[in-house]
Amino acid sequence: MSTAVALKPTQRLTGFMPLIALAALVAALTIADPDFLTQRSLIAVARTAAPLIVLAAGATLVVLCGGIDLSIAALASLSTVFLALWLPDLGGLATPAVILVAATIGAVQGVAHVLLRIPSFIVTLGGMSILSAVALVVSGAGTVRVVDDSTVRWLDLYLAGYVPMSAAMAIIVVALIAVVLKVTPLRSWISATGYSESAARLAGTPVDLVKIGAFCVSGACAGLAAVMLVSRQFSGGPTMADNLLLPAVAAIVVGGTAITGGHGSVWRSLAGALVVTLLRVGLPIVGVPSAYEQILYGAIIVVAVALTLDRSKVSTVK
Amino acid sequence: MSVPALEVRGLVKHYPGVKALDGVDLVVQQNEVLGLAGENGAGKSTLLKALVGLVAPDAGSIYVRGEPVRLRSVVDAANHGIGMVFQEQSLVPNLTAAENIVLGSEGPAVRRGVYRWEVMRRLAQEQLDKIGSPIDPLARTDSLSFADRQMVEIAKVLRIEERTQHPPVVILDEPTSVLESKEIDTLFAQIRRLREFATVIFVSHRLDEVLDVCDRVSVLRGGQSVGEVATAGAVPRELHRMMIGSTGSDDHYHENAAATVGSEQPRLSVRGLSGTTFQDISFDVAPGEIVSIVGVHGSGREDVCRALFGAEPTTAGEIRMDGKKIDLPSTRAACAAGIGYVPAERKLEGMVGAMSVAENMTLAKQQARCAGPFVAPKKQATLVDSWIRRLSIRTPGRDTAIQRLSGGNQQKVVLARWLVAGDIRLLLLDHPTRGLDIGARSEVYRLMRELAATGVATVLLADSLEEAIGMADRILVMNDGRVATEVACPNGAKPSPLDLVKEMV
Repeated sequence: MSTAVALKPTQRLTGFMPLIALAALVAALTIADPDFLTQRSLIAVARTAAPLIVLAAGATLVVLCGGIDLSIAALASLSTVFLALWLPDLGGLATPAVILVAATIGAVQGVAHVLLRIPSFIVTLGGMSILSAVALVVSGAGTVRVVDDSTVRWLDLYLAGYVPMSAAMAIIVVALIAVVLKVTPLRSWISATGYSESAARLAGTPVDLVKIGAFCVSGACAGLAAVMLVSRQFSGGPTMADNLLLPAVAAIVVGGTAITGGHGSVWRSLAGALVVTLLRVGLPIVGVPSAYEQILYGAIIVVAVALTLDRSKVSTVK
Repeated sequence: MSVPALEVRGLVKHYPGVKALDGVDLVVQQNEVLGLAGENGAGKSTLLKALVGLVAPDAGSIYVRGEPVRLRSVVDAANHGIGMVFQEQSLVPNLTAAENIVLGSEGPAVRRGVYRWEVMRRLAQEQLDKIGSPIDPLARTDSLSFADRQMVEIAKVLRIEERTQHPPVVILDEPTSVLESKEIDTLFAQIRRLREFATVIFVSHRLDEVLDVCDRVSVLRGGQSVGEVATAGAVPRELHRMMIGSTGSDDHYHENAAATVGSEQPRLSVRGLSGTTFQDISFDVAPGEIVSIVGVHGSGREDVCRALFGAEPTTAGEIRMDGKKIDLPSTRAACAAGIGYVPAERKLEGMVGAMSVAENMTLAKQQARCAGPFVAPKKQATLVDSWIRRLSIRTPGRDTAIQRLSGGNQQKVVLARWLVAGDIRLLLLDHPTRGLDIGARSEVYRLMRELAATGVATVLLADSLEEAIGMADRILVMNDGRVATEVACPNGAKPSPLDLVKEMV
C-alpha cells in the first residue's frame, strides 16, 4: 500500500535520530571552529564521556523498566571514596569490591522499591541523600588521595596510543548490556514491565526480579564509573560525581529512551551521552561565552529530545 | 423528508498496511437511532473517530444538515453539534459528576478562574434533567455505578446542544459492554428519550441490542457500507450474515464439539478458599471441563479467578492441581504450574500494546522460543508463524505491534500465549470475548472447545449468561463472595437464564 511505503523511511529514520543529532552537533561545532575536530579535543571528549556513558547505560535499564534511578551520581561519589580508602589494603581487589558493593546498594534500593511499593523516584531520592551523607562521613568530608594508583591506572591509559581505555571500557559495557538484552528474554521482560507492568505481571513475567536486577546493574555501573573517575583524578571525593546526575538523565532522554518506560536502548544512551559531553566540552572549545553556554546547552537538549523521541512507540508523552 | 442530520459520502482512510475506511457512505436522519454494526476491523471505530474530528479522512466528505464540514477536533465537532460517548469511560473519577459534566466547557460555571459551584450544579442538573437521571450532581464520580457514570457521560455530551441551534448528534460507542442487564435497560430507556430531541448513533457488538434499540441499522464490512436493515422484524442472524458476508453457524457455541469430561481425578480442586472479597470457595474442575462462574458485579468471582492465578492474596484454603497441593505466591508460580489467565481488560492487562505479536505471544512461556538461556530467532519465527496460522490470526506479520491488530486478533494472540509451550493444564478466562464481534467470539469459543478436547480444564467468567450457559458443562453461581449453588449444564439439558438469576441476587 502506498501510504505504508511512504511512512517506512521516516519510521526507520527515528531509530537513527540520536546518531543524526550527534553527527549534526559535531558538524556544527566544526563549522563554528574548524580546529575543533582535532585528535586532542576528541580524546578529551572520549575521556570525559566515559564515566557518563557507563552511568547512563546502567540507569537506562531502570528507565526502561518504567522507573528512575536518581541515586547513581551519589552512589558513584560514595564509590570513589570507598575505592580510594580500600586501594591501599585491597590493591587490585579494590575495584571489584567497590563494584560489588555499589551493585548491592543498587539492589537494596530495588528491593525497597519493589517490596515496600514506594515509587522509584522517592526511593532513589532518599538513597541519593543517604549515600551523599555516608560519603561525607566515611571520607571525613574531604578528598581522599590515592598514593599508589598502580592498580587503577590502566583505565587512564590509551589503547593503540589514541583510544582512552576508559572510553573503550565504557563501550564494552554498553555492548555487553545490549547483547545480553538482545539474546535473552530479558529484553521482552524489561520492555513489558516498562510499557505495562500489570500486563507483564499477568503474563507471569518476574517483574519484581527484573526491576531489582535493573537497579543492581545501575548500581554496578555507578561503581564502575567511580573507578574511572578515581583513575583520572588520583583521588576519591564525597561529591566527585554529584554533578553527573542531570547529564546522565539528559543523556538517556536525548538518546530517545522514553522516560515513561518500555521504549529505548542503551545504544541510544551512548549516543545521548556523547551529545551531552560534546556540548559540555565543545561549547567552551569553540569559544561560546560561559553564560550563553548554559542557554545553548538547555536549548539543544530540548531540541534533541524533540528529534529523537519516537512518538509512534510512546503513547503519552509526560 | 427533512435534510439528514448527518451524511457521509465516500469516506476513505488509510493506515500503514490497512485501508480502514474504503469509501463509506452513511445517512443519519434527524431524531432517529441509527445502529452501526460490523465486525472488529470493519471500520466502525475509524468512522466514529472521523465524525468527532479525531481522525482526518484521506478522501470523502461529511455533511452536517446538508452543509459540507471539515472536522478538525473534538471541539470542532461539538461546535457542529456532534458528540461522542467514548468506549473507554473518559470521566475523571475523583471529581464530582457536575465537574465532569462541565469539564472543558465550563462557561459561566467559572468566573475569574474560580469555580462557581451553584452555577455549575445548576448547569449539570439541567443536563441530567434532560435525560431524567436522578444522579446527584455533587456526587463523586467514582462513587457512582458504571451505569450512572454512563449517564454522566451522556449528560456531558448533551452540553453540545448549547453550541448549536440544532438537535445534537450523540454517538454511543459500545455503551453496554461493561453494563449489567438491568443497567442496560435503563440505558435503553434513556436512548429512547434522547430520540425526542437528538439524533443517536449506537454501536454495539450485541446484535440483539442493536435491533432492540435502533430504528435502522447500517452494516460495515471491510471499510465499506454493505447495506442497511430496518430493525422492525429483523433477526440477528440476518444482520450477522451481512456483517460476515455469509451465513453464520447455527451452532454459535460449538456445542457439538463439547469435550468429554474426564471423570477420574479433578484437574483443579479448590477447598475453602478465602480472600478479601470471597469466602470459603470450594469446587472442582475436571480435565476437559468448562466451568463457568456467574454472579453480579461485586460477587467476587473476578477475585477468585485472580487468586487462582496468584494475582490476589488468599487468607485460607487450599488449591490442588491433579491431586497435588500447590502454593500460588505469584503469577510466575501459577504459570509454572501450568495455569494460564486471560484478563478482562485486554488493552491494559492482557497485552503489551507497543510490543510485537511475537513478543506478546511468547511473553509467558519464554522457554518456547529459547535454546537454553538464549532466544533462538528461528525457533521463535517458526513457533509464532505456526500459531498465527493455526488460530488464523490476521496480522501483517509476527513483528507487527499487537496494538495495530483488531480486538479479536489481539485476543487470539493473548490466548496463544498460554498454548505455545504445550504445558497448559488450566485456563482462567475472565471475559475472554469482551468487546469482540460475533465472528471473533465464535472463533474464541471454537478454540475453547478444542483446548477442552485436549484435556485443558477451563474456568470461564462469561460476558453474558447466554455465553455461560452455552459454553459451560457446569455453572457455579456466586453471590456476595460465596458459592450460592452449582448447576449442571450438560448439552441438551441447559438451565434457563432465569434459573440462574434467581440465585445471583
